[in-house]
Amino acid sequence: METLLTSSFIKDYPASVVIVNSEMQIIDHSKLWLKELENHSGSPIGLPIYDVIDYTSEEFSIRCEQCLIGGEQVKLIQELNQPELNTTWLEWTISPWTENPGKTNGLIIVKDDITETKKREELLLKSKSIARIGGWEVDLLSNTMHWTRVTKEIHEVPEEYIPNLEEGLNFYKEGVDRDKISDLVSDGLNEGLPWDTELRIITAKGKELWVRTKGEVEILNNKVVRLYGTFQDIDEEKRVELKYNEVSDRLAIATKAASIGIWDYNVVDNILVWDDNMYKLYGLNKKNFSGVVEAWESSVHPDDIAPSQELLQRALKGETEFDTEFRVVWPNGEIRHIRAIAFIQRGDNGNALKMIGTNWDITKNKKSEIKLKNLLDITSEQNNRLMNFAHIVSHNLRSHSSNLSMLTGFLSQEGDNNEKDRLTKMLCEASESLDETVQHLTEVVQVKVDAIDKMRPVNLYETIKGVEKNLAVLLKEKNTKCEVKVEKKLQINAIPAYMDSILLNLFTNSIKYSSPERSLALRITAERKGQYTMVTFSDNGLGIDLKRHHNAIFGMYKTFHKHKDAKGIGLFITKNQIESMNGKIEVDSKINEGTNFRLYFEAINV
Amino acid sequence: MKKFENVCIIDDDHIFIYGIKRLMKEVNFGDDILVYDNGKVALNDLKLNSKAGKKLPSIIFLDLNMPIMNGWDFLDDFCKISESELNNTVVYITSSSVDPRDLVRIKSYSIVKNYILKPVTAKDLELILKEEVA
Repeated sequence: METLLTSSFIKDYPASVVIVNSEMQIIDHSKLWLKELENHSGSPIGLPIYDVIDYTSEEFSIRCEQCLIGGEQVKLIQELNQPELNTTWLEWTISPWTENPGKTNGLIIVKDDITETKKREELLLKSKSIARIGGWEVDLLSNTMHWTRVTKEIHEVPEEYIPNLEEGLNFYKEGVDRDKISDLVSDGLNEGLPWDTELRIITAKGKELWVRTKGEVEILNNKVVRLYGTFQDIDEEKRVELKYNEVSDRLAIATKAASIGIWDYNVVDNILVWDDNMYKLYGLNKKNFSGVVEAWESSVHPDDIAPSQELLQRALKGETEFDTEFRVVWPNGEIRHIRAIAFIQRGDNGNALKMIGTNWDITKNKKSEIKLKNLLDITSEQNNRLMNFAHIVSHNLRSHSSNLSMLTGFLSQEGDNNEKDRLTKMLCEASESLDETVQHLTEVVQVKVDAIDKMRPVNLYETIKGVEKNLAVLLKEKNTKCEVKVEKKLQINAIPAYMDSILLNLFTNSIKYSSPERSLALRITAERKGQYTMVTFSDNGLGIDLKRHHNAIFGMYKTFHKHKDAKGIGLFITKNQIESMNGKIEVDSKINEGTNFRLYFEAINV
Repeated sequence: MKKFENVCIIDDDHIFIYGIKRLMKEVNFGDDILVYDNGKVALNDLKLNSKAGKKLPSIIFLDLNMPIMNGWDFLDDFCKISESELNNTVVYITSSSVDPRDLVRIKSYSIVKNYILKPVTAKDLELILKEEVA
């Protein structure tokens, strides 16, 4: 019964098992074993195993003999090269079986196909060799060290080289590298800690190499008995990595120093990433924003969002380059100008995949650009004015001097005394005109020379009333109704003498060019307009044809009325005086209805 | 020597007018001399005369800087008068201006024959006589 049970157990055993007696004759086997047996028909029971399996090696029979005699399990790996078949690897486990202790009755032979495992091992070895991964081991009991072939190759030592722990450590580069490995090994020995690090060695041939060394510790009975690990040549990768780190560190330092922000937009997944500099450029705290798009939209000047987004879309379509400027408003209200340039990566079909861009602050340039442009405008405006002024001066001086030379010419030839008197009278008139012109010019030049630092608060109401009083006689002659609707305490920033001169000129103009058909009515009001106080000076006089004279009304020596006192200098000087006080003057008028002058002066905040 | 039939001077400077009239008399420039002290009066009067069947002046001396209507505005309007009415009228600009922009602008008016920088001399008038009448 027992034998039968055992036998049936063997039959169904899920491995290839064969049992032989001491004569090596088969007495039992598993079904699997029989199945794997090719070229054999009929039951193999009773046959010698060597007759049934023709591929057993000589070593196999030796080992079987050893096992029968020694009674200890042996293992044997056999490489089987069968014609027209791939190499297979077999592992034989040969165990003795006994019925009575002390005597071996036969063998239990288990066959295991380990081809797959073997292949994997080979592959691993191969890949380790390719990856230049070697192994090492220190047996602390026998105090020996073993290096694999690859480890030796990495150290550039000959194959027969026998390493020891101390020498092994001395291959590490003196200094930080050797200190580090010494510490790691020491920690391993004392505390059983494993390690994995990257260090430099100097090979036997003096070459510096980056290696990755890994160590494991084997502990038996609280005692470290073995250290082992891998040793890998990572020189090429490490140097590439170091180079990359160097470059990217350099870039990071450079961009940080130059305050250049870098952004990266994954078009496909719609993900925008900013570096830290970007947040700085926008005056933002990175922590306060969950998303970059949100951060961008919250900071860009409202007027610049739509154009920037439109440009982005056009750039993505490939219609234009992405190279633009926009304003950002910092949380403290400060407006900064940002220049943005981006490069687009495209797929094979031309679709935009990724956009990488830079931002930098150009506020300083922008400000100096604006300043420069203003200066240029002022300069060309002044140049223009000077040019006009020069021509006006030349014209006016010439017209009098030519009259003078003509008259003196006539006078020298004139015999008739009456005519002589007439010429002399005209000569006086011409020289007086010349004198008057020179006076006007002096006055004009004076406006330009007078410094802005003469500006001080001036009470507008009192100034108007003062001028009105001075002209009381003339105003009364015209039966003038004068309405001054100005806050009595209102002050403006102005040069007092100019204020008098400007108001005097406007009053006299209104008197001069009042309508003969109605009595003169003047109205003066003042109101705040932004940084200015705007004074409106209105009359109901003759008016000016502004369609015809608009460009010339404030010009020098422009007169629009047939009036004996019209000199064409007053408004020119008025304009110059107002402008030299940082103000401006505007006019509108209707023929036969009246004229409104609007004067803008620097307001004073109360 | 022949002389101009009718001459016109448009200028607001009465000393200049006195001078040029005196010089015209000297060189026997013309008989009928019309004087206006601004462009507007001149234009209105000349147009009225023309309507009344009177011939327009054959030569006009025109100042540029005048009140009410300056020389430029006068020219702009005067150019619109049809050629048949014009009586071969030529315009000479008389001005004290040496502004090159004025000289360039004058070239755009075909009716303007020349530019005389004040003061006008007897010699200037004699040359004009030679050119226009002889």
